Amino acid sequence: MHPGEPVLDVRDLAVEFPYHGSTVRPVRGASFTVASRQRLGLVGESGSGKSLTALSLMRLLPPPGRIAEGRVLMGGVDLAQLSERQMARVRGGRIALVGQDPMSSLNPVHSIGRQIVEAIRIHEDVSQRVARARAIDLLGQVGLPNPGRRFDSYPHQFSGGMRQRVMIAMAISAGPEVLIADEPTTALDVTTQARIMDLLSSLVEEREMAVILITHDLGLAASFCDDIQVMYAGRVVERSRPGPLFAQPIHPYTEALLDAICRLDYDVSKPIAAIPGQPPLPQLLPAGCPFHTRCPHAFDRCSIEEPSAHVLPSGRMAECHLADERATAAA
Amino acid sequence: MTATALSAEGITRRGRRGETVLRVLRRPTAALAAIVVFLILAGAIAAPLIAPYPPSQFDYTHLFASPSWAHPFGTDELGRDLVTRVLYGGRTSLEMAALATLIAMVFGSIWGFAAAFKKGWIGEVLMRIADLTLGMPVILLGLVLVAAFGSSIFSLVVILGILFSPATARLARSALLSELESDYYLAATSVGASPWRIVFEQLLPNTMPVLLARGSIVAADAIFIEASLSFLGLGVQPPKASWGTLLHVGYADLYSSYWYPLFPGLIIVIAVLALNTLGDNLQRALDPSRR
Amino acid sequence: MAIYVLRRVVTSIGLLFLSSVLIFVVLRLIPGDPTITKLGGGMTAVDPRAFQALRHQLGLDRSLTHQYVHWIGGVLRGDFGQSYFSQFPVTTLIKERAGSTLELAAAALFIGLLLSVPAATIGAIWRNRYFDAVLSGFTAVGMSTPAFVNGLVLIVIFGVKLKLLPTQGYVSFQNHPLESLKTVILPAVTLAIAIAAPIMLILRSSLADVASAPYIRTAQGKGLLRYQVVLRHVLPNATIPALTMIGVIIGSLLGGSVIVEYVFARPGLGSLMVDAIYQRDYAVLQTLVLLAAGVFIISSLLIDLLYGVLDPRLRVRGQEA
Repeated sequence: MHPGEPVLDVRDLAVEFPYHGSTVRPVRGASFTVASRQRLGLVGESGSGKSLTALSLMRLLPPPGRIAEGRVLMGGVDLAQLSERQMARVRGGRIALVGQDPMSSLNPVHSIGRQIVEAIRIHEDVSQRVARARAIDLLGQVGLPNPGRRFDSYPHQFSGGMRQRVMIAMAISAGPEVLIADEPTTALDVTTQARIMDLLSSLVEEREMAVILITHDLGLAASFCDDIQVMYAGRVVERSRPGPLFAQPIHPYTEALLDAICRLDYDVSKPIAAIPGQPPLPQLLPAGCPFHTRCPHAFDRCSIEEPSAHVLPSGRMAECHLADERATAAA
Repeated sequence: MTATALSAEGITRRGRRGETVLRVLRRPTAALAAIVVFLILAGAIAAPLIAPYPPSQFDYTHLFASPSWAHPFGTDELGRDLVTRVLYGGRTSLEMAALATLIAMVFGSIWGFAAAFKKGWIGEVLMRIADLTLGMPVILLGLVLVAAFGSSIFSLVVILGILFSPATARLARSALLSELESDYYLAATSVGASPWRIVFEQLLPNTMPVLLARGSIVAADAIFIEASLSFLGLGVQPPKASWGTLLHVGYADLYSSYWYPLFPGLIIVIAVLALNTLGDNLQRALDPSRR
Repeated sequence: MAIYVLRRVVTSIGLLFLSSVLIFVVLRLIPGDPTITKLGGGMTAVDPRAFQALRHQLGLDRSLTHQYVHWIGGVLRGDFGQSYFSQFPVTTLIKERAGSTLELAAAALFIGLLLSVPAATIGAIWRNRYFDAVLSGFTAVGMSTPAFVNGLVLIVIFGVKLKLLPTQGYVSFQNHPLESLKTVILPAVTLAIAIAAPIMLILRSSLADVASAPYIRTAQGKGLLRYQVVLRHVLPNATIPALTMIGVIIGSLLGGSVIVEYVFARPGLGSLMVDAIYQRDYAVLQTLVLLAAGVFIISSLLIDLLYGVLDPRLRVRGQEA
């Protein structure tokens, strides 16, 4: 798992939606880079802004949302500034997205083969026959049995796991450098989940792709990703490799998340350690650090000043005023 | 939440619906539609007061006169002022539409409620009958019924009422069904509230708003169909006049005095459009699942 | 699949039969008697013997059931009886006028679709707020304007003021194509406006529904341009549920032609129906209504079958993985 060259460089990405006369920012400045063959995990609760971040990389934000600030650099080009026509060429060709709803993410009235062929021929000028052969090959690569015969089948004739494989085949068909997987296994059972993640792993290696895995499942992120970013209230509040992250979380939010995970050896007479309060709505952010109202370590500075990214010598990052102290204590 | 608390919630939903209605009126199109409806109703009711001329005042020297300051809509074949005729004709059209709407709403609601309560094959049959008539063009059904039952005001009103009952029945049934499946209803019955209490304090008030919103649309349709029938000469019969009959007579002299049918025609469009818009906005506000 | 088809066909036949009974009974409920109208006056002015003779001749003195059976027997043989007034067989009357109504319906359908489908599709591609508002406005006004008001405005503009086009009468297409087109244009446009409004309503709602489906985002994610997404993915999926609009269209055409033919003094089945009501000509009336019901029931059947063909989810039921 050695990451190669950086392929995607996101700087201060902010997403804005109009809200009752003014605006609201569900994503307030996300910055990260992804290199080829790297698996980046974007972890957070619903409402943390992770899905919107992914969509904005593809410029597929649901209107009236828009990218308010920031740059999405790929090969020197800022995707946020491209015209719709130019962006259409990037989609599928350089970045692709696999969504979380395999049951309804395929056009029900076209055969799956036809949909994959379409994906191929958008980005490459090949004949129908060549594209068909390629599609069948792809279906085989993602583990679909009897790809030649299934080519003409319709989506409703497949199970959820199969449909997700088809989605993956379609996404990688034009050879993108970055694959965004937005909760790819949420709708699937655990066994299928494992198989899909294995598939993604092998594809990463074979094709030197970068994968951004978006999930709320810390365990999934831990087992798959090289690097995990935790998002809260529209910002990336911690970035670390999985091992150190789970062993010694720096940001109090990460710590609270990990504490809330039930383990088999828990004392059942004790209450589950839930995080008190609710994640803040983008339009009602507290002053200062967005987590301070729920943070057991908050002090006076936390309610006044929003912490900036503290990069630690180990390469980890956390947006917390106590980052340095907590890091040294952990070491 | 306790059962009593839930059923109390069901009752207070009524209050929240009232707020929704007021909120709808903040939208400019809805507010405009409401104003227009009000003006038309006011005009019809106050016709004897605001009509510029008495309804039967003839003026043989000015037959089929074109619009002028004295007669903004012109005069008819007997020299009667058309503004007056439109106002009084409006009374007929609107009265008939109101009565027909009432019949359609009451009959349709009972029909729909019965189908909702009796979920077995009776309910199915009731709904099948309703569905049968829904696709067919209303005007054809209306013509057949007029052919059978004649064009007296009474039979016209009843026919119109019957024509619009099936759609209302479907709406009433689905509204009641969703109430019957709600937690509030479950709570109320489990608490042991008397059936009449449930009906009057919860079921009826919660299904009323949706039905009333529909009523606006039914009224629009009633005006539309009555005008169509009268235009064909098969609706309101002389000496009574409605907007449709004015068009019927005016059409005969279209080439010489086209303004005669034009003004009643425009009024019909405005009235139907306003009622449709109002009803549509109300329905959309009350049922968030609709677009 | 075959069983489904058979079931639908049998149901349709049953419905037709039921409609015929209903029509027959309803029309006989009226107190007024066609005989009286034909003999020209109120009860007192009529000679009782002529009255009875005519009733016997028209078969009106037999029991209701007998009359019905007689009628249905004839219908199944293709004999729809004789008009009470003109003494012509009903079939002759219908054949004379069917051509005019069919031409009108075909022209109106063509123009109506030409107006509504591109407009709705462009609206889905362009997604411009003002264009959408204009479309909504047109739909709302179109649905609130009776055909006779449409027709009135068109006649005034094109017939009275500009004197460009004839506003009444009918010329058969076979006889004289150019004149025929001239007589059919205004009525067809009038009727077209009346059907374009509901078509646009249904189509736009269907397009909006489909446009928010997850697979549309997938299509965009592949790198398709907006118009490609709409044409290749949104439209095909939107027209399937919008097939119900075929039923609405046919209904509107049936109902609208009655009014439009009256407005433009165009002889056809619609005006035949109005005349029959005036004259209380049951024979013609019940046949026309049965015809309308038949058209309607058959088109519903065809729509159901069409669904089965077009939607692969219904089609390939036997080939599940």
